[in-house]
Amino acid sequence: MENNNPLSPHIQIYKWHVSSLVSIATRIAGIINILATTLICIWFSSLLFGESNYEIIKVFLQSFFGKFIAIGITWSFSFQILSEIRHLIMDLGYGFELKTTNITGMIVIIFSFIFTILIYLLGRQFI
Amino acid sequence: MRPVTKKWLFLKISSFILIPLMLWFIINFVSFYDKNYQEILKFLTTQPSKFLFSLFLIFAYFFSALSISEVFEDYIHDEKIKNAANKTLNIFAIFFPLITIIIIFNLSL
Repeated sequence: MENNNPLSPHIQIYKWHVSSLVSIATRIAGIINILATTLICIWFSSLLFGESNYEIIKVFLQSFFGKFIAIGITWSFSFQILSEIRHLIMDLGYGFELKTTNITGMIVIIFSFIFTILIYLLGRQFI
Repeated sequence: MRPVTKKWLFLKISSFILIPLMLWFIINFVSFYDKNYQEILKFLTTQPSKFLFSLFLIFAYFFSALSISEVFEDYIHDEKIKNAANKTLNIFAIFFPLITIIIIFNLSL
């Protein structure tokens, strides 16, 4: 059966708004998160090969670059969590006014950074 | 129920379940990412982390497969390419978490 649904216009056509930025960033964060989860699965699976093979991964994760990736993944997860909560609230029928979508979009962006700091401090048992 | 409505409903249910699982996972990830072999093995071989991580994987890949297929729907015009992309995505979303869960359940301290 032929699909006559129109394709979405490509993103460079739109005038940028907070809500479109959050929407596109959510898709990108979702893809980053599933790629990160896939790498974490490979990392966990590598534990089967024993402790001696694990040393290379450990050295990498303890490096500056490893920490940077860990913080980046934390932000990406934080952003997706907040954005999904926003979407679920919108699915209940709230927050469709232009002003409200801009405010909630800004809340998602700003709080994703605050959330990242909180999760990092909580995970490292600083709080 | 129309297939698109069913897909939307699955997407929303999996999103609702995934939010607390993502929060649980990311807090734990931050706490153990630079730890030694024994500590990570301990996390993966004890309950409830073993069960929760398996649940996280199932819902994360299920949700991602549905979300990415939306991107395919929006941007791929050729039906054959779209179907092939969706099939590859679904196969990956079923087998990759399944294999990982089997490996995790075979890990021991």
